[in-house]
Amino acid sequence: MREFITGNQAIVRGALRAGCNYTAGYPITPASSILADLIQAFADGSGIAVQVEDEIAAIGQCIGAAMCGARPLTATSGPGLSLYSENIGLAQMIEAPLVIVDCQRMGPATGGATATGEGDVLFARYVTAGGYPLPVLAAADAASAYRLTYRAFQLAERFRTPVILLASKDISTTRQTVDLEAIELPPIVPRRAAEAADSFRPYAVASPEEVPAFAPIGGPVRVRVTGSIHDECGLLTNDPAKIARKLDHLPAKIEAQADEIEDVDADLDPQARVLLAAYGVPDGATRVATEELRARGVRVSRLTLYSLWPLPVRALKAAAAPAVEHVIVPELNIGLYVNEIRRVLPGREVHGVTRYDGKPIAPRELVARVEQRLASHR
Amino acid sequence: MSLVTATRREMSFCPGCSHSTILVELGAGLERAGLRPEQVCLVSDIGCIGTADRYFACHTFHGLHGRSVTYAEGIKRQRPDLTVVVLIGDGGCGIGTTHLVHAARRGVGLKVLVCNNFTFGMTGGQHSVTTPTGGITATTPAGSDVPPLDIAQLALVGGADYVARCSALDTDFPGYIDAVLRAPGFALLDIWELCVAYYAPSNKLTPPGLHELSRQLGLPMGTLRERVRPVEPRPPAPPRRKPAGGAAPVEPLPWSGRHEILVAGAAGERIRSAVGVFGEIAVAGGLFAAQTDDYPIFVRRGHSLSSLIVSERPVTYAGTGAPELLILQSADGLQRLGGLADLPTETLVVANDELDLPPTRARVCRVSLARAGKGIEKTTLALALLTFGIVRSGWLPDEVLARAADRVLTGKFREANLRAIRAGLGGAEWVTG
Repeated sequence: MREFITGNQAIVRGALRAGCNYTAGYPITPASSILADLIQAFADGSGIAVQVEDEIAAIGQCIGAAMCGARPLTATSGPGLSLYSENIGLAQMIEAPLVIVDCQRMGPATGGATATGEGDVLFARYVTAGGYPLPVLAAADAASAYRLTYRAFQLAERFRTPVILLASKDISTTRQTVDLEAIELPPIVPRRAAEAADSFRPYAVASPEEVPAFAPIGGPVRVRVTGSIHDECGLLTNDPAKIARKLDHLPAKIEAQADEIEDVDADLDPQARVLLAAYGVPDGATRVATEELRARGVRVSRLTLYSLWPLPVRALKAAAAPAVEHVIVPELNIGLYVNEIRRVLPGREVHGVTRYDGKPIAPRELVARVEQRLASHR
Repeated sequence: MSLVTATRREMSFCPGCSHSTILVELGAGLERAGLRPEQVCLVSDIGCIGTADRYFACHTFHGLHGRSVTYAEGIKRQRPDLTVVVLIGDGGCGIGTTHLVHAARRGVGLKVLVCNNFTFGMTGGQHSVTTPTGGITATTPAGSDVPPLDIAQLALVGGADYVARCSALDTDFPGYIDAVLRAPGFALLDIWELCVAYYAPSNKLTPPGLHELSRQLGLPMGTLRERVRPVEPRPPAPPRRKPAGGAAPVEPLPWSGRHEILVAGAAGERIRSAVGVFGEIAVAGGLFAAQTDDYPIFVRRGHSLSSLIVSERPVTYAGTGAPELLILQSADGLQRLGGLADLPTETLVVANDELDLPPTRARVCRVSLARAGKGIEKTTLALALLTFGIVRSGWLPDEVLARAADRVLTGKFREANLRAIRAGLGGAEWVTG
């Protein structure tokens, strides 16, 4: 059945569908309604929801609950993501499953609280000290926000990692027509449970890309959790071999599974000379522009990036092969992700189309840009 | 099985440091309380005392500086049956002051042991928020000229259920540990200690000197609050109604093409609600809609604009251009639009006849709000105007819209909204020019 809901409502529905049972948050436009709706949803005791003194406490509580076995979500906007930064590093180090929603707004600083912007696409990847990777997904509308929230829980459980889902004001507060029941979602595989044993080593892995088995704090198996560099028992170490084992493992478990995390929608024409690659709000305009160009006989390919990190290299290379000469990347920021695509697609002309005044990029701007590129290279 | 797995000598604190005393006494207290290792979670902050987790055989969590209370609260909320003990230094109480106060306010049953030796030991003897006035440290070589923060008072202000101050070097120390572990709600023990590496030698502080310091600073030792407040878990609310599951479907609405509507008014005029009501009717009628709002941060002052795209096909691009129907209810909305010069001739503008309209090529239909508002609630005026505009645009027949609204609208505003829609169907009578 079709419904008329905002992106934030879709995120809440996706979270509940995924078994989210803990949230702590601090109000911030345009994310606030997620906290309020989850407080309502959990009022019957089906979960725990609490508004706390700041974003640091919000993510801190979620991390504590995650290590007790909860499936937490915390939602914020760019300024709050800045305050999450340090604790995202902790969640990586202790391998805490955690879903973070960043309802982006125009930045930097307080920026435009009620204006859209999608400038956190690199910040989300490099959000904490050390440079270790984490999955970053990007919603484009209410329907994808629902699906990707669910998927974020799936990835968090699967890889025991913080996962960031990017939305933005124009997704969070725009009401759209969706049929959530029609969206197919595979069952969530819970984090691998540890076998009860006195000799439990909470961070033992057989190979770098393996995800360690999980035992909850408070269970029969005693658990040692630490944000300091540790060995497989969770004990502080200064042994270079043990340090290397841990720090090889953290990127390996994400990067080695990049293809599994990759989430795109490709609408490709093997004869296309132009590829439109979009994420977030500009995806809608890109789809409309693609239709219009094809109606005029222009052969173009379109690629929607629902996962931004790890960089969907495989999908980008496939979309650009073999005939594509130009890649157009529309973004609601100063032109950030376009550089990543440029890096992946050497030999192609990769052009950014940017807008950061709080207004969306219109389909006609993209149509004009494509035609201009094709005209200049005849 | 003992909760503490190391002897005082095996712990790697400086010789003479009372941190090891605290850990041994904490372990003994937990055992006296009859707690098994798996029933306890020890959350350690940062600094010398932050290394304590490795000496405990219970669940342990070692996180970031000053944030230990936040992890502990998440753990305690998720597992209320666990005894959750926080070990934090005076440094952690400085960087995490806000967390301490608010955790105390919320009253979640944490047991916070503040290992207060007036200085940062691990980083080289810098001053902390509890360094006494005149205290000599690496960063106050001439003596601190700032009075210390009373951590116990902080917990009292926050509303902690149990607060006490003591010296780790006194014989009655184990009794305080027992009291903290017994306390039902949020409990904090401000434990004074000697940092044998920095603060004690630099300031000639001795075990009896801690009591002298307590008198000098006017921060008395002893139990400062011991309250037995009933900790009754609030019963869960009755099962919630399913989150808005979409309106009851109605007969397919005979709508052709894609039309953009813009309603411009002021905060408080329920502009966004009116547009949302029509969006819900459209979606229940098998159409596709997208609603985008524009409003300033002060939600009860200034403009309120709401755009709606309604289409027989999915709305892939939710951005809007020039609307085909513009409802101008009040001056705030008109001011936000700036002007009407960009509107094409096809646009229908339904405008409050009291507004001073700028030049436009669009078709203007002026209406009297006094007439439009007759017999309906003031908060539904926007919906009445919108209904009139939609019917006037010829997009939906009167009776189809009325039937669909009757099927779709629910909730406490149903009757008021239906009255407004019915009024809008007869809106021809409002036209003044």
